[in-house]
Amino acid sequence: MLHDASRAAISRRSLLGLIGLGAGAAALSACSGPSTSASGAGAGSASADAVGGPSFDGVTPAKTISFWSNHPGSSQAITQSIIDKFKAESGITVNLVTAGSTYEDVAQKFQSAQAGGQLPDLVVLSDVWWFRYFMQDSIIPLGNVLKAAKVDLSDYRQGLVADYQYKDSQWAVPWARSTPLFYYNKSHFKAAGLPDRAPATWGEFATWAPKLMAARSTTKAKYAYEHPALAGYAGWTLQNILWGYGGGWSKKDSFDITCDSDPSVKALSYVADSVNKEKWAGVASTSSTDDLAAGACSATIESTGSLVGVQKAVGSRFDVGVGFLPGGPVSTKPVCPTGGCGVGIPKGVDKANQLAAAKFIGFLTNPENTVSFSAATGYLPVRTSADTSSLLAKNPLIGTAIKQLDVTRTQDWARVFLPGADQEMAKSVAAILTQGAGVDATMKTLRTTLEGIYTSQVKPHLS
Amino acid sequence: MSLALTRAGGPAIVGNAERRGGRKDHSGHEATVDESIVGPDPWTRRVFGGYLPLIIACLIIVLPLLWMVLGSFKTADEVITQDLVLWPHHPSFAAYANASAKVNFPQLFMNSVLVTAVGATVKVVLAITSAYAFAFLRFPGKRIIFLAILVALMVPSQVSLVPNYITIAGMGGVNTYWGIILPGLGTAFGTFLLRQNFMSLPIDVLEAAEMDGAGHLSRLFRMVVPMSTPAIATVALVTIVDEWNNYIWPLVITTDDSRMTLPVGLTLLKNIEGDPSAYPILMAGAVVVILPVLIVFLFLQRYIVAGLTQGAVK
Amino acid sequence: MSASGTIAGPRRRLNRRRLRESLLFVAFVLPNAALIAVFTYRPLILNVWYSMLDWTLGSARATFIGLGNYREFFTKDAGAVLGTTLIFTVVTVGGSMLIGLGLAVVLNRRLIGRNPARATVFAPYVLSGVGVGLVWTFIFDPVGGVLAAVLRKFGASSPQWFLQPGLSLTMVIIVYIWKNLGYCAVIYLAALQAVPRDLLEAAALDGAGRSRTFRSIVWPLISPTTFFLLMTTILSSLQSFDLIRIMTPMGQGTTTLMYASYLQAFGGYNRAGYSSAISTILVVILLILTVFQMRFLERKVYYA
Repeated sequence: MLHDASRAAISRRSLLGLIGLGAGAAALSACSGPSTSASGAGAGSASADAVGGPSFDGVTPAKTISFWSNHPGSSQAITQSIIDKFKAESGITVNLVTAGSTYEDVAQKFQSAQAGGQLPDLVVLSDVWWFRYFMQDSIIPLGNVLKAAKVDLSDYRQGLVADYQYKDSQWAVPWARSTPLFYYNKSHFKAAGLPDRAPATWGEFATWAPKLMAARSTTKAKYAYEHPALAGYAGWTLQNILWGYGGGWSKKDSFDITCDSDPSVKALSYVADSVNKEKWAGVASTSSTDDLAAGACSATIESTGSLVGVQKAVGSRFDVGVGFLPGGPVSTKPVCPTGGCGVGIPKGVDKANQLAAAKFIGFLTNPENTVSFSAATGYLPVRTSADTSSLLAKNPLIGTAIKQLDVTRTQDWARVFLPGADQEMAKSVAAILTQGAGVDATMKTLRTTLEGIYTSQVKPHLS
Repeated sequence: MSLALTRAGGPAIVGNAERRGGRKDHSGHEATVDESIVGPDPWTRRVFGGYLPLIIACLIIVLPLLWMVLGSFKTADEVITQDLVLWPHHPSFAAYANASAKVNFPQLFMNSVLVTAVGATVKVVLAITSAYAFAFLRFPGKRIIFLAILVALMVPSQVSLVPNYITIAGMGGVNTYWGIILPGLGTAFGTFLLRQNFMSLPIDVLEAAEMDGAGHLSRLFRMVVPMSTPAIATVALVTIVDEWNNYIWPLVITTDDSRMTLPVGLTLLKNIEGDPSAYPILMAGAVVVILPVLIVFLFLQRYIVAGLTQGAVK
Repeated sequence: MSASGTIAGPRRRLNRRRLRESLLFVAFVLPNAALIAVFTYRPLILNVWYSMLDWTLGSARATFIGLGNYREFFTKDAGAVLGTTLIFTVVTVGGSMLIGLGLAVVLNRRLIGRNPARATVFAPYVLSGVGVGLVWTFIFDPVGGVLAAVLRKFGASSPQWFLQPGLSLTMVIIVYIWKNLGYCAVIYLAALQAVPRDLLEAAALDGAGRSRTFRSIVWPLISPTTFFLLMTTILSSLQSFDLIRIMTPMGQGTTTLMYASYLQAFGGYNRAGYSSAISTILVVILLILTVFQMRFLERKVYYA
C-alpha cells in the first residue's frame, strides 16, 4: 500500500514535472517567434472563405471599445466630440487612442501588436495599408458586422466604398477621405497676370509658370510650383500627371506594372524637366502647403485634408485659391486619385467589441457627423445624403473639393496593394528630381523592384 | 549617449589603470598643467588661440538651444514665413497649450518620470549588489561571469530589438510600464564602474569590520555604500539621464500616449496631413524634454563629467 | 568522517562560510546576470535564427529560407547601406575627435570662464536625441529655417537638406558631431591635464616649441586616450538612431546598418527576418571591433 502510494506520488510528481516542462517549453517557444513551415504554403492566405465575415447573431455590443487613430488633419478634437455624442446616444464608451502621428506609425503599431500586444477594436486604415492587413488576415470582412449594427453602405459614395473592396468583401468603411487638390496663391497669380483659376491641363500650366517666375520680384516666391514632399506621398499625387499622360504605376485594376511605359516616362519627364530643366518647380522638403503658406511657392498640390490647416496658416496674408487637378495631353478626367483613410475592425478581438466598433463606424460616418468632420478638417463628406449647404456657406473652397469627387479614379494597385511600394516610388522619384537620375532607367529599376514585391509578398497570399 | 558613456567605464581602461599602477582616484584632480607654462601668453595667442575659439564653440552650442526656446514662444505665421522673425512679436504659451491639447503632456511627463525613477533605482541597486559581489565575495568562475557581463557593454540594445519585442510581446508587455522598463534593467556599466571603485576602498577598514563580526550586508550598507557615495551618485546620474533620453525601445513597445515616454510622445506632435508647420509646438515639446536634463546637468555636471573622466583616463 | 573529526570542525565551518558566501554571491549577481543573459545575449542567438526566416513581424508563421536574407542584403542593399554606415562613422568619429581635441587644447589654457565653457560644450551630450533632432530640423528647414534665412540675406538659397540624400547625410553628421564632440573634448582635456608638468617644463628648457612639444611629448602620452575614444565613438556612432529617425524618418541617404534594421522591422516593411539578418551583420562587425580592441589592449598593457 505504502509502496504503491509512494510510487503513485512519484509518478504524479514526475507527471507534474513533465507537464511543467512542457508548459515551460511551450511558453518559451511562444515567446521566441513564429512557427515555420518548409514552403510558402504556411504564408496563410487571407480569409477568402468569408465574404461577409463572421456571423454576429445573438452578439450584444461591448460597453467600451478603443479606437486607434493618428488624427488625420488634426482631427482629434472633432473626433472626440463625435465620440462624446455617441456615448450619450448609445452608452458605448470609445477610447480614442493616439497611436502615432502618421498612418505609417499606426500601421506599425497595429502590425507589431499582432505579435502579442493589445489590439484596438477599431483602427485607422490608410489606402496603402488595408490590403496588407487583408493579406495577413488581421482584419475582418465587414459585411455581417455592419448588417448586425444596421449600417447600410448604399448611402455612402460608392467610389469611396469600392476602394476597400476585394474579392466581394468589404474591408473598411471610408472615413477621413481626401483627394489631392490644386492650391494656389491668388495674389501671385494676379501679379503674374494670370486668370484666377487652376490650370485646365499641365500643358497650360507650363505656359503660366514662366509668367509666375517673371513676377517673382514682386511675389518673392522661389518657385512657380512646388511638387509635394516626396516622402511617402509622391506615389499618390503623381498619379494625376501619370494618368493625364495615359500612363500609371500599373494598369487599371491590375498588378501589371506600367511605370516604365512610354506615357509614364513622358509624364515623369515633364515633372523632371519642370525641376531640372525649366527650373520653375521645386520639391517640398517637408510640406508643400507650408511653403505655399509662407509664400515660397505660388502653387502646389496637396490633400484636401490640408485645406483648413492651410487657411489657418495663411490667415489674412493672401487669398488661397483651389481647383481641380489639371489634366494631361491624353486624359483630362478622371485624373484625380482618391486617398485618405477608412476605418476597419481587427480580427483578434471579441465579437462584442467588433459589433460595438461597427455601431460606432455607423455613427462616426453618419450624414451629420461626416459634415462636421469635414468642416473641421477639409476631408470630404463620405455620405451622398449629407447636407453640405452649411459646409459650403462656411467654407466655399470645400465645395471644389467635393465636386472633384465626381471625377476621381481608384488608385493604381501597384501603389496601394504592394507593401512598401509607396516608399519605392518616392525613392525613385527623388532620384529623378533631386539627383538628376534618368527617368527611363530609374523607372525600369522601379518596375523590377515592384514586380519583385508582387511575386514575393503578394502573389503567395492571393492564390 | 548610453553606450558611449557606458563604454567610458569599459574594458579599454583596465590596461591604462594598471599601467599607471594606480588604484588612485584622479577624478577630483584639477591640477592645471598648462601648456602655456612655457611662458606668459602673448595676448594675441590668448585671444585667437583661447577666448575666440572658446566663445565661438559656446555660441554654436548655445544658440540652437536658444532658438528652440524662442521658437516655442512664436506663432505659426511667425515661423511659416520667408522673413526671419527673430523675436516672437507676441510671446505666448500658446504652443505649449497646443502641444498639450494634441498629446497628453502631463501624462507623458509622468510616464517618463516613472520609467526613469523605477528603472534607474533598480539598476543602481543591481549595480551595487553585483559590484560588491564581484569585489568582495568568492565564487567559482567569478572572473568568467564578470567578463561575460563586461562584454555585454559591447552589445548595443538596438540589435536586440526584434527578439526582445517578440519576447516582451509574448509576455503581454506591449504598452505596459514593466514592458518598457524590464529589458533594460541589466547593468554592465554600473557593475563595472562600482566594482572598480569598491576595490579601491581601504581594505584594512573593511577587514577590521569583519573581525568585529560585521556580516557582508552590514559591511555593504554601513561601510561600502557610504564610502562610495560619489561613485554611486555618478552611476545614478548617468543612468537617470540615460533612461530619460531612451527612445528606440519605448518607441517600439508603446502603442499610445497612456504609456509613451516624452521622447516618443514628441514624435506624435508631427502630423502628416493638415496643420501646416507645427514648429512652435514641436519646439515647445523639445523644451519640455530637454530642459529637465539641462537643469540637472547644470547643477550636477561635476559629477557626471568627473564620472566619465574617472573611467576613461587614469 | 569521525577519523578526521579534529580538523573537520573548522573546515566544515569554513565550508559553510564558503557556501554562505557563494549563496550571497548568487543572490547579489543572479538578477543582473539573468537580465543580461535574457535581454542582451539571448537576442543575439534568436537573431541568427530569425535571420534565416522569411517572416512578417506580427505573423505567427514564417518560412525558413536559409541564407536568403543575407543573399538579398549582399546583392541588393549592402553597397548603399555599408557605404552610408562607413561614411557616417568615419566622418562623425574623425570630426568629433579632431574638434574635441582642438577644444580640449584650448580648454587646457588658463582662461577665465573655462569651467563653464567646459560644461557648455559637454551639455549637448546628455540631451535627448529626439529633442536635439527636432531643434535642428527647425534650423535646417529650407523655407522657415534660420539657416535658410541667413543664406537668403547673402543672396544664396538654402540647399535641399531633406531631399538630397548626400545633403541629408551631411546634415545628420553635423548635428551628430555637435551633440557628441563635448564628450571627446572633456575626455581629451582630462588626458591633457594628466600630462606630467615636469615633462613639459623639461621640453621648454630644451627649447622645444609648442607644436614640437605637442607632437613629441603630449600626443604620444595621450595616445591611449585617443585609442579609447576611437573605440567608444565608433561604437556609439554605429548605434546612432535618434537623430536619424527624427531628422530623416524615411532614411533617405541616412540608412545606416542600424537604421536599415529598424526600418525593415518597424518601418514600412515589417520584414522581421530581414531585419534580424542586418542586426546579425552589425553584431559581427561589433565582434570584430571588440576582438581588435582586446588584442590591441593586450599589447598596450605589455609594451606601453
